[in-house]
Amino acid sequence: MRLHFALNGEEIACDAEPDALLIDVIRDLGLTGTKEGCAVGVCGACTVLVREVPVCSCLYLAAMAEGAPVWTVEGIAKRDPALVECFVEREGMQCGICTPGQVVSAFALGLEHDSATEEEIRGFMSGNLCRCTGYVTITEAVRSYLDHR
Amino acid sequence: MRYVNDVSLPGMTYVAVARSSVPHARIRSIDTSVAASQPGVIGVFTAKDLQVSTYGRSVRDVSVLADDKVRYVGERVAAVVAESRVAAEAAAELVEVTYDELPAVFTAEEAIAPGAPTVHDAPWAYPRAFITEEQGQNRQSVVEEGSLEAVEEALQKSAFVVDETYTTSAIHQGYLEPQACVADVEPSGKVRLWLTNKSPYILRSQIADCLGIEADSIEVQPIALGGDFGGKGSPEEAPLCVALARLVGRPTKMVLRYTEDLLSTDARHPARIYVRIGCDTDGNITAWSQDALLDGGAYGGFKPAPTVSIHGALEPGGYRIPAFYSRSVIAYTNTVPKGHMRAPGAPQATFATESAMDELALKVGLEPADLRYRNLLRTGEADVNGREWIEFRGQETLDAALAALRIREDAPAGWASGVGISVYSRTTPTSTSSSMRLVPMPDGRLSCEIGVIETGTGSHTVARELLAKGLAMLPEDIDVVQVSTDELPTDPGAGGSRVTASLAMVADQAIKAWRARLEDEPVLVVVDEKGGPPVGSYGVQIAQVAVDPETGQVKVLEILSTVDVAEIINEKSHQMQIDGGAAMGFGYACLEDLDESDGQVWSANLGDFKLPSSRDVPDFKTVLVRGGRGVGTANVKNIGETTTPPTAAAIANAVADAVGARIRDLPIRAERVLALIEAAP
Ligand code: FES
Ligand code: FES
Repeated sequence: MRLHFALNGEEIACDAEPDALLIDVIRDLGLTGTKEGCAVGVCGACTVLVREVPVCSCLYLAAMAEGAPVWTVEGIAKRDPALVECFVEREGMQCGICTPGQVVSAFALGLEHDSATEEEIRGFMSGNLCRCTGYVTITEAVRSYLDHR
Repeated sequence: MRYVNDVSLPGMTYVAVARSSVPHARIRSIDTSVAASQPGVIGVFTAKDLQVSTYGRSVRDVSVLADDKVRYVGERVAAVVAESRVAAEAAAELVEVTYDELPAVFTAEEAIAPGAPTVHDAPWAYPRAFITEEQGQNRQSVVEEGSLEAVEEALQKSAFVVDETYTTSAIHQGYLEPQACVADVEPSGKVRLWLTNKSPYILRSQIADCLGIEADSIEVQPIALGGDFGGKGSPEEAPLCVALARLVGRPTKMVLRYTEDLLSTDARHPARIYVRIGCDTDGNITAWSQDALLDGGAYGGFKPAPTVSIHGALEPGGYRIPAFYSRSVIAYTNTVPKGHMRAPGAPQATFATESAMDELALKVGLEPADLRYRNLLRTGEADVNGREWIEFRGQETLDAALAALRIREDAPAGWASGVGISVYSRTTPTSTSSSMRLVPMPDGRLSCEIGVIETGTGSHTVARELLAKGLAMLPEDIDVVQVSTDELPTDPGAGGSRVTASLAMVADQAIKAWRARLEDEPVLVVVDEKGGPPVGSYGVQIAQVAVDPETGQVKVLEILSTVDVAEIINEKSHQMQIDGGAAMGFGYACLEDLDESDGQVWSANLGDFKLPSSRDVPDFKTVLVRGGRGVGTANVKNIGETTTPPTAAAIANAVADAVGARIRDLPIRAERVLALIEAAP
């Protein structure tokens, strides 16, 4: 089927199977920042924004994004460069595989509730697993991003 | 950053495998015809199509594709190569395998029982096998140290003795990047490889032996790793991908689905550890025996050594022990092959022995910290093997931990609070063989080429800072790049808490060579350091928990990690190793379990195999006990493996402190705690 959506602010059209997952469509377009971890909607490595709402692209049918704005980490990094800077500055990453998902979720939190407490940050970000950091620096990075906004 | 799954080559093909659905069986027949006729399928291959031998990191016992027999649920049986990943996976489902099922063994106890079904007919006959026929069937390794006789005698005379058995579960490393491989074979036979692997130099010969080619013909490409924790050291899917790339004449790519990773890679060994510790009336240890039986799963070849060190007490020279005995037996079973994970052996042994120390303290009537304090070795004493160490700072570390402890008052109303302590120390390796090249850049910058992969531990940052300091340059002016295996002579790979110490040794030589160079040309240094007396890095953890006596639910409020350190190259990376290590220790203690009863992995996805989230983890506090003496001119102690092993015992000890329930089996789940509370007199 033919799909149309606004990927990182740019209208695009592409062909995809009706059951294609959004993660595969995005990655096949060359945007490999979105990562596949668990593939079952648990780890959040594949998080993207569809209609400004964070979704697990590993479970999300590409067809459901028809006509919608879709933002991946590549686009978010341009939309708000301060966000990535906060992660770099606070060293909110080690191996980096969870980072794209963390960044997208942090951005979504900023849209929703930029005065979140530490506990609210941890709650909101709990769908983004990280095996490396123990979350301390990630929570700090999100905190400093929200403060910057 | 680019990871293996992000690599794409012209003409790429995709690999998926059909996996065994039964734990132990002879393969009667494999019908690939339906799979092969699917759209997009290039070919379907079985063991008879491949010209390969078995492979492994140490013992070469792993089949690239199962030959006559399957030995665990999830073993690779046939491989599909297709034009897309989806097509390959769909076709793999259609491979028809007929099995003649065999009786199986699902636990190490079953495996070593007389007359048990044999997992491998002659495991001693594999290249680099660690066992002999005399050691008995279904063994991967048997390691004995110390004297059982001396221990028995000393226990007889001891005033107090604990005599208990502890068990731990199988868990996966939980890196978020599944294992992946891209292989490309050029017409000349040269192999280019991108693999989720942290020891590229050693990898080449492991693959070469399996495929019957020269190690030099394999070039392992630099690539970022999405987490390792010990799980990404074996050739994994590489022999298969290379063999298939040769067969189809195009590059191959295989990315495991996470479920496959949980089913088939190299989880931490579950263990049953029988501990006996005796002491005199004052609490001075008189004897120590730890007898461990570990489930090694169907293959041993995923481990860099066929053993794990269970010497929680011995390895760093921790306690003063007059009579010592340790035995570790790793058995073959029909379960997921086990491998190494962050401080292999230590989380299991430390859970057992540090729980037993608390049980002993209760008998003697001493505070748990006091019992430990009086038995920790002091600098100048020899360890249980008579070895000298650079220093022992266990007592200082324990003191600092107690001084920093602030009792939490935030347990929910009606819940009981408890505090638990646990001590561990890890040896910093003092030997290495590694290399580094410094290349002057036209713009005045310096490029540092190393073979160490960035596994996510900040090793490249460490290299940059070491050089910046030694050469009086700005860190920003130094680029650290991992180069392919064709470009440097050697590197030991990441792991074993060795990266910083090893980098420090090679950087030191590189700095000297750079200063002494006569022309502005690249310098290459190769070090082969044998190492002096060892040094340990102590980690004392104090856990604070709240336990709901009605439900048995445990909430870990805080983990205070007090760590004995020397020089720290990069404070932030160092701190993240401490926090990440404690988070992993917490997951091991409270959440994670592959659950392999009946030879099936019941937690076969990350929904069921629960990794700690940002909401689950306790508060992490850290105290650094500075001023230690480390190794090399950089004066460093390891950190990556110091804070994971002690956590489970600290939490179990805190639960016992709170409600009197002595947990001897991991993970610490509400049902278990409640059952113990209810069973209490
Ligand atoms: S890959 Fe989508 S949630 Fe894990
Ligand atoms: S940085 Fe490695 S998983 Fe988060």
